[in-house]
Amino acid sequence: MKKIYWSLLLPAIVLTACKKDFLRQQSATAVNASTAINTVNDLADAVNGMYTASKNSSLFGVNVPVLGDLLADNIFISSSNYGQLTSDNNYTFIATSGEANGIWLQGYNTILQANRIIAAPIASTPTVDQLKGEAYAIRALTYLTLVNYFAKPNTISPDADGVPIITIPTYETGPYIKPARNSVKEVYDRVITDLDSAFLILPNTPIAANIHATNSNYISKYAAKAIEARAFLYRGDYANAQAAALLVVTQGGYTLTTTASAFKSFWTSATATDGKVETIFELNNNTTGAVSGLADFFSQAGNGEMLCTKELYDLYTPTDLRKGLIVNGIRKGNGQPAFLVNKYPNASNPDKDEIKIIRYAEVLLTLAESYARTGDETSARNYLNQLATVRDPSFTGYVSSGQQLLDDIVNERRKELAFEGLRLFDLYRLNQVIYRPAQPYSYPGYPEVSLTDIRRLQPIPQNEVDVNPNIKQNPGY
Amino acid sequence: MRPFKLLVAFAVLLCIRPLVYAQQSPVSIINSKLEGKVVDERTGDPLPGAVVIIKSTTHAVSTDASGNFRFATGQKFPYVLIVSYIGYKKQEVVVNGGPVTVRLAENVNELSEIVVNDTYSSQSKKSYTGSAAIVKGATLENKPLSSPQLALQGQVAGLGVAVTSGQPGANVQVRLRGLGSTALSSNPLYVIDGMIVNAGDLSRLTSGINNSSNALAGLNADDIESYTVLKDASATSIYGSRGSNGVIIITTKKGKVGKAQVNLDAETGNTSTIPLPAAGQPLNADQFSTLFIEGLRNAGTYTPDQIAALAESYGFNSGKTTNWQDIIHRTGRQQQYNVSVRGGNENIKVFLSLGYFDQQATIIGSALKRVNGLLNVDQRISKNISVAAGLNVSNVNQLSPVGTTGSWANPVFAASILRPFQRAYNDDGSINSSSSSNTGFVAHYNPLWIAAYDKHTLSQTRALGNLNVNWHIWDQLRFSSYASIDYNVLEEIQFENPILGNSQSSNGSASNAYNRYFNWLLRNQLDYRFNFSKAQDFYLNLTAGYEAQKYSRYELRASGTGFPLTQPDLNALANAATPTLASGSSSGSTFNSVYFRGSSNYKNRYSLSATFRRDASSVFGLDNQYGNFWSIGGAWNIDGERFFENQPILSTAKFHTSFGTTGNAQGIGDYAAQPLASYGSNYGGGNGQNYNGVGNPDLQWEQQKKFDLGVDAGLFEDRLIFNVDYYHNNIYKLIQQVSISMTTGFANIPYANSGSMLNKGVELSVRGIPVKTKSFNWNASFNIAFNNNHVTDVGGNTSVINGNYYFQKGYDYYTYYTRLYAGVNPDNGEALWYTDGTRTKTINDYNKAARVPYKSATPKYFGGFSNTFYYKGIALNVDFYYNFGNYIVDGWSTRFYDGNYYTFNKYQRTYNNRWTTPGQVTDVPKYIAGGGSGGQNQSQAYSSRFLYKGDFIKLKNFTLGYDLKKLPYLQHSTAISKLYVYVRGTNLWTKTYDKKLPYDPESGTVTIPQFKTYTVGLNVGF
Repeated sequence: MKKIYWSLLLPAIVLTACKKDFLRQQSATAVNASTAINTVNDLADAVNGMYTASKNSSLFGVNVPVLGDLLADNIFISSSNYGQLTSDNNYTFIATSGEANGIWLQGYNTILQANRIIAAPIASTPTVDQLKGEAYAIRALTYLTLVNYFAKPNTISPDADGVPIITIPTYETGPYIKPARNSVKEVYDRVITDLDSAFLILPNTPIAANIHATNSNYISKYAAKAIEARAFLYRGDYANAQAAALLVVTQGGYTLTTTASAFKSFWTSATATDGKVETIFELNNNTTGAVSGLADFFSQAGNGEMLCTKELYDLYTPTDLRKGLIVNGIRKGNGQPAFLVNKYPNASNPDKDEIKIIRYAEVLLTLAESYARTGDETSARNYLNQLATVRDPSFTGYVSSGQQLLDDIVNERRKELAFEGLRLFDLYRLNQVIYRPAQPYSYPGYPEVSLTDIRRLQPIPQNEVDVNPNIKQNPGY
Repeated sequence: MRPFKLLVAFAVLLCIRPLVYAQQSPVSIINSKLEGKVVDERTGDPLPGAVVIIKSTTHAVSTDASGNFRFATGQKFPYVLIVSYIGYKKQEVVVNGGPVTVRLAENVNELSEIVVNDTYSSQSKKSYTGSAAIVKGATLENKPLSSPQLALQGQVAGLGVAVTSGQPGANVQVRLRGLGSTALSSNPLYVIDGMIVNAGDLSRLTSGINNSSNALAGLNADDIESYTVLKDASATSIYGSRGSNGVIIITTKKGKVGKAQVNLDAETGNTSTIPLPAAGQPLNADQFSTLFIEGLRNAGTYTPDQIAALAESYGFNSGKTTNWQDIIHRTGRQQQYNVSVRGGNENIKVFLSLGYFDQQATIIGSALKRVNGLLNVDQRISKNISVAAGLNVSNVNQLSPVGTTGSWANPVFAASILRPFQRAYNDDGSINSSSSSNTGFVAHYNPLWIAAYDKHTLSQTRALGNLNVNWHIWDQLRFSSYASIDYNVLEEIQFENPILGNSQSSNGSASNAYNRYFNWLLRNQLDYRFNFSKAQDFYLNLTAGYEAQKYSRYELRASGTGFPLTQPDLNALANAATPTLASGSSSGSTFNSVYFRGSSNYKNRYSLSATFRRDASSVFGLDNQYGNFWSIGGAWNIDGERFFENQPILSTAKFHTSFGTTGNAQGIGDYAAQPLASYGSNYGGGNGQNYNGVGNPDLQWEQQKKFDLGVDAGLFEDRLIFNVDYYHNNIYKLIQQVSISMTTGFANIPYANSGSMLNKGVELSVRGIPVKTKSFNWNASFNIAFNNNHVTDVGGNTSVINGNYYFQKGYDYYTYYTRLYAGVNPDNGEALWYTDGTRTKTINDYNKAARVPYKSATPKYFGGFSNTFYYKGIALNVDFYYNFGNYIVDGWSTRFYDGNYYTFNKYQRTYNNRWTTPGQVTDVPKYIAGGGSGGQNQSQAYSSRFLYKGDFIKLKNFTLGYDLKKLPYLQHSTAISKLYVYVRGTNLWTKTYDKKLPYDPESGTVTIPQFKTYTVGLNVGF
């Protein structure tokens, strides 16, 4: 009988013993964010998570590269479509539109991932430096993108409202921050500072051991410099743009494809490059976790509603290799003739096209433009023709000068970087009216975006304005 | 710390133990023998299973099949017998020798007899200070219902049971006294035999109401002794952080002292389709082709030749048509068989049962089978110690369609949109799987093919076991220790065939999910009863306890694509060419609680009670894990007062009131409070860790302050009983999703304490015997509940738009936020909307009409009305359920009205009432293929046009039975104690109040509809 009495007490004793831990339950698939990064391996995992955040379809995965051409003059939406991005095609987007909200939210989410990597309390080693350098570069790239979509160009009004600069992880600031917008200049300063930090600590030769591959899917030392060249160019700081671009050209070791077949296979390939050919940095988009939207929008094997404008198509000479990336064919949905974009052909391949962020061709063009704008037209033509004559084997090279040379360079940028989301920012920084003539089998459209058009800036998302009284909406929304 | 104190208390008690142990058991001496019989006072029928106790002793026996009992006892004559039987008034009889015949009177007065057992303690209803309703299991047995919640519909005032799907075993939405929460669960807590169980939809591979599962579907209504619904603070705050939405306590049958009783129950029949209302019938072939051609003409962009070509291609001239409603409907099977054994003696009591239930819905591919067994044993180990153990094991096998709501694979949706000219069968009689012509399935699927070759099954196996040890340390002090496990395994398989359907493009796909839920609970409790020696009938009950519970889940999932094209039976996942998912994971949460209760009663007239519970849960941040919940309550039985005797009408009367707090945390993610960096954001083949959970370390319990005031009254010697309750429940620290600055990297905090909401209302139950003669009885019960819900503080939310609803202070949470439809312009057939809520100006552009708050989806009142008529062994049961004051929205209006989707079939009402000629006054616009232009194109989009009155009355149950024991040659049979036959129909009749309503107001559109059942049954007892 005694035994029974004692056994009754057992549960009480057992429970007392395990109580402390009993109320601390840990997830099987997640760790506490504030203490998540303790080792180099954790850091490498967080860097992968940062790249994944950046390739979200709201950000670099789809919308940033597509809108950069759609809001400009390179592409338009076919009348046969699935209803996506039509408000951007027609310039009817408003403060509650999903695209601005997505770029803003996913942009700051990517910045958050970078912030916590940079803040991780791990002693510096070459490997740690490389990983943190990648985070600095991605943070800078994201701020550069945000400030270009949501704020006036630095070339016009550097003191205008930019975007809030956040550099501290949310687990430290708490979730209720309500930051005001920094000025455009301050954002550019942050971008340049971050890229300088990245360039400083990224090793010359990427360290592969156990962290990740060393191909174009990851930020390298000269990828950071190439992004910096872009930032200086957008900022209108041509001397620094020239210096940065030249460093990439002379020290980076990147090359262009030299034959028609190599060029073609470069654009049909869905994998990263190890050999520093053409691409400096592109986001991985392989079978697991592929973002299909980009290829889906352009390829007729996907939805294929994003079509090339006639004006862009007509820019290419018949011998231009790049003309081969546009097919004068039939739009799948309505059976009507159209210029089909073939730059991202892997719509039905489980391994989708990589998302090109920055290519060597852009650096050459940045170098040419900054030389031209700082008075060295010989060097400008030299670097411009390095690209132009490779792309069009029959072309003997530009001989122009003055404004014509500048126009030729910008035009060459349009042809080279078409469908990569960069056209809009050239038009913005050069303060040009955007002409968007009506296209067949499409919407009536929005033929001209004047210099005073409110939609030259994306709206600050209504959701942000609603909860953050310190943020100022862009005028007109 | 607290459990440690309890431990010290137990240790102290142990020191007292030898005193108790020193008492000796009395030696058995027989001083008297007694024989007797217990019969119904009115009919004289013997009452088998009545309990006879000798007063002031523990010596009890129960009557046999013929109502006889006998005693051999140490007591000397005269002594007093206490005789009790469920449903009859307890009687005390002084005996001086036998044989005696005790005549028991039927009892409708629940106040004095019913005991409220809320797991932590049992109190007589008379002394109970809370508001609780008890439903006897016997009234809900043997019904053709696939889960116990369905049986409770209409039984309890204020308990809303929404049958949102006719899928057997689907989840059932239950709301007690209104919506209890916005972002969290509003379902009540379910407690089975003391165990707080996993409930709701535990399936992982499915979503949507067509194929949800119900964790309680394994329970057999025949095994349930009683359902107790705890409502107010006094009743629920003992459940602390989980009591806000009310508690439903299910108690299974236990063994009884007496000869073993064997019961056999069999019921069989079929399920039968409830036809769609006239407004919602799809068009027949002629109507469809007429409308289609008219639509093309009205579009104005088709030449007569083009129209003729389309008519040809859509098969209008083929002469071959299909009635899709007939194709997807069937007459289903309905059967159940139960056997139970119940018996015991003073030392051991046993209840054992086995059951089988089989139901086919009237939609192809929707069915459920259940097998279950229950064993309850009560064992007395010594004079002071008893043990009770129970084991309930069940398996539910649920078959449901692959597709939910607006999926082509949903047979109900398919049958509503498929054209009469699409062909279910080929000319050779085989099932049509063509996706190449307009008489086949270019965009849609053939529901026959899907039902034949797709597969979606859920096998849910549950073991619910408990062990309870009771130790009466001395007369007034009791220690009990309770342990229970709730073990649930769900195996889910989904297969989509490679020929026609969702996975056509991937050559077929299969997903398998295995989920194991394991939930254990331990409870130790001390009860002490203190009798005030100076005052008679004055006592104090004190309870202190400690409880710990852990929930955990383990999941394995795998998917693959690419299945053999011409081997339809090889649908096991192993046949997949390409594996697409392999995943395993686990999660868990814990609860830790201490609780106290004190209740005092003076002469059964005045009761006071107070409860306190301190809960801690792992789902909250380390600084906010604890929550305190309390209540106070009082009751006054006026019928005990002297002045009460001076009036002739009231026979009993009681006031009760309570105030207190409860909490809610059901539905918060296990780790929602923590900022999380999750793995799985892999990049380039490497592990990726992503800071994707903002967390909220400040998160606390959602809380309710509940006030209740109730009156229970009996009239005319309790032939008529009223229960009225008024309640006022303020929900504060409401847990909602709260938007934050996106510069944090997050758009919102999914769970944050923000805002408040109020539910107040009145409940009324009436029970009585309107007619009572020697041979004829009419028992009736009626209940009604009015609830008023409104938001009292929106908290940090800035948007008034909450999907279809309007979220604003002062409004019902489910107030629609919609454009007001103004009918059709008689001149040109264009749809019109009011520009704003003033209804002064109309406009023909949907987008330019303002959304305004309008009507609500919350019923204003609902309840049940039940009648039982007895006449010489014939019993007739008629149960109604009704629901009034809510509006329902047709969420698929875009497909079934107007011409936007002109290749889909339409509702009959669209066809009958469409505008065709200038001057015609109607509310259905001109039918234009592809829809009108501009704002007219939205004529079928969400507006008040598609809000319907949700009012209905349903005849839920109609049963006619006959007690064969009334037959002269069976009346005195001792072999058979019960022989009862009946016929039953469910859902036989529905009354709705909106002629425009195209579907059943209870289940809504494109879901598996409810159905009728017709069954015959037999109950035999030995």
